[in-house]
Amino acid sequence: MDPPIYYSKAEFIETDTGNKVSRRATIAGPQNIILGGKTIISSGAIIRGDLRRTGPGHAVVISLGRYCLVGEGCVMRPPYKTYRGNFNYYPMKIGDHVHIGASSVVEAATIGNHVEIGKNCVIGKFTIIKDCAKIADNTIIPPNTVVPALSLFAGSPGRFIEDLPESTQEIVEAHTKQYYTRFQPLGR
Amino acid sequence: MTPTLLYHCPCLSNSPVPPPPHLASSSYSFHPLHTLFFCEECDAVRCNRCVSVEVSTYYCPNCLFEVPSASVRAEKNRCARNCFMCPNCRNTLSVVPSDPPDSSDGRVAIPISTVGEPPFFLYCNHCRWDSAEVGITFEKPTGLAAQLQKFEDSAPESLEFDRLKEHFEPFLRASSLSSSTSNAPAAVPSSAAHSHHLHSNSITAAASAALARDIPGVSKYNPLSRSTSTRGGIGNKDRSTNKDEMSVYKSRVDISTASRLGSGGGDADVEYMRHLETIGEVASLEQRWTNSWATPLQTGDLKPLRIPLHSKRSKRCPACTHILIKPEQKAQSVRYKIKLVAANYLPAITVALPHAQQIQSEAAKRTLGKSTITVTDDDRGTAAGGMHAGKTYPFHLALTNPLYDPIQVRLSVQRMHVATTSSAEGGAPEKARRPPFAVSLPTSSFPIAAFAEAWEYEDDEDMFGVDDDDELGLGRAGREKDGRGRVKTVGVLEKRANVTVVGGEVVIGKEARGGVKFNMLVSYTYRSDDPAPSEGNEGSPSKAAAKPPEIKTFAFYTVVDLGAIIPKEEPRSDMDF
Ligand SMILES: [Zn+2]
Ligand SMILES: [Zn+2]
Ligand SMILES: [Zn+2]
Ligand SMILES: [Zn+2]
Repeated sequence: MDPPIYYSKAEFIETDTGNKVSRRATIAGPQNIILGGKTIISSGAIIRGDLRRTGPGHAVVISLGRYCLVGEGCVMRPPYKTYRGNFNYYPMKIGDHVHIGASSVVEAATIGNHVEIGKNCVIGKFTIIKDCAKIADNTIIPPNTVVPALSLFAGSPGRFIEDLPESTQEIVEAHTKQYYTRFQPLGR
Repeated sequence: MTPTLLYHCPCLSNSPVPPPPHLASSSYSFHPLHTLFFCEECDAVRCNRCVSVEVSTYYCPNCLFEVPSASVRAEKNRCARNCFMCPNCRNTLSVVPSDPPDSSDGRVAIPISTVGEPPFFLYCNHCRWDSAEVGITFEKPTGLAAQLQKFEDSAPESLEFDRLKEHFEPFLRASSLSSSTSNAPAAVPSSAAHSHHLHSNSITAAASAALARDIPGVSKYNPLSRSTSTRGGIGNKDRSTNKDEMSVYKSRVDISTASRLGSGGGDADVEYMRHLETIGEVASLEQRWTNSWATPLQTGDLKPLRIPLHSKRSKRCPACTHILIKPEQKAQSVRYKIKLVAANYLPAITVALPHAQQIQSEAAKRTLGKSTITVTDDDRGTAAGGMHAGKTYPFHLALTNPLYDPIQVRLSVQRMHVATTSSAEGGAPEKARRPPFAVSLPTSSFPIAAFAEAWEYEDDEDMFGVDDDDELGLGRAGREKDGRGRVKTVGVLEKRANVTVVGGEVVIGKEARGGVKFNMLVSYTYRSDDPAPSEGNEGSPSKAAAKPPEIKTFAFYTVVDLGAIIPKEEPRSDMDF
């Protein structure tokens, strides 16, 4: 059984739904960000909920599901484009059980459930990552790429490497749940 | 390096015993548990190397459209919609209009809008290749594959391929006919003319004859006349068909004149290479052989390529042909109609070295508050995982029961017969070389409680709760260091929920080198047909044994790799990789 992963109790805020958010993460526009519960935002992460569609009212810019991990130093920024002469940001939707490794930059449009993204990746604008896909460490996914379900992508530009096993969903789910339970406070 | 444990698949081999771990073949026989399947019919483990596979759905990995199998062949296994691959870097290409993209924000905006002025072209937003470079533009941004069809169809290599296909079609049809009929019951009476074909290819012959009759120009198929025939061993006594009836293939373009027609080869290439200015002008091997129909020498000749289709596959047991994996039809669904995976039948086993985990935990506490981006799990593991020659190390095996009934498990180390590197437990006979290490495991069987859904969902935090920290790697490893641990090293260490942790021990010889890797036989008994889960049975073996009719035993091999041995004399850094 893997040993606990310790964090300083003083550094993290725990919400009612079990989200653990580092005080050293930059959460811009928190009113536009949804965390599903039991999701961890590590220190140094930057989440740009402030980059919202122009226009009045409330808008969800970035939503993350349950048991997600945004690694240390990750940048999560909604994708933008100029369409018919109008510049705009578009929302980013991330499913449950999604882990994003340290120092990765994510500008995807949608990321499904049970997705693993490695360290030092760049996930280009409007990328669509389907369920149970995996992006290896140091992968560059160019804008508008579609990553099909149950496939492993790696390289620069990121390319299909192989199909993942049929039990990927169970493995990723067990891993993300275990990670959350191993993530334990130390100190007062 | 973290210790690993892999599971054996015998792959229909006659011997259920896996090769010893120091042989190269070992790595082909062992697999992670989550990649294995289980056939209930055969009561056996199956792996991706031995299952038979059939395609259930074809789809484009970019637009995700499902392609009916009838169209797959006609469209040459590639997407016939708007999906193209960059010939330079294999990224997916975007369709862009020729009017410059709006970059009012001062950045170099990536043009992705498909509303604009014709002509349109394909653009790579990774390497900036565009199809106008090779003279390909489009009048409208949709139906690009159809617009390109005429180029593709008239390309010399495509015409050549069609011609080859046409040439071999009769042969392929005849052989597929024969293979589909040769498995049928041999109740069809042999015709007199073919009765001397002892092992009866009469059906094939009949089909071939029928084909020859129905389709003009097709001569009679006779596999025996072919030297490449796999149906060896039968002497061919037929006098009339003793020749290769496949006519000689004539290519469209004579190869000796091909280079003059601009398709490369020979002097033309030499001339081109002579005047090279940059290496990038020559297409790389990958660009030539995996990205293209043709294999043009010049980068400037590379054409965009329709994206190859992907498939979803069903898997069958190779012995009894029962379906083990059947995916849902929908291309992007990750659900399965049938999914018989070994993880639902066999206990999951993980292996850990407490001394390495202790160092890891301490490192984790030390670096707490600092960024761990530079201190990865891998780094910590490498520093901590080493085992020194001449020492004794405990190791832990955590076994998780996936069944709704308790199981009783027995572990044993596989003895190696031809032992140059013997890992057999206890006293292996002294050979030319001393055995590098000896492994001790609990000798008696031990229980693992039944799996219950509730444990997985409700108690997962309690299992790892703050109060329990000392029950995990850290505290326990500390106790053992105190000297008391020695007594309790081998045996059952812990039971919680459907997990039992047992301890083993490895004694490493003074002169040992290499790694600690050994085969371990795991056998477990379970109730075969008992829907009612019995509770509170802490699994005394006598109680289980008291109901023999319900008890079944299953055994499988695993290979345990505890990691590298750090030799005595050499500096430690040598082993850090
Ligand atoms: Zn196999
Ligand atoms: Zn497509
Ligand atoms: Zn490119
Ligand atoms: Zn079977």
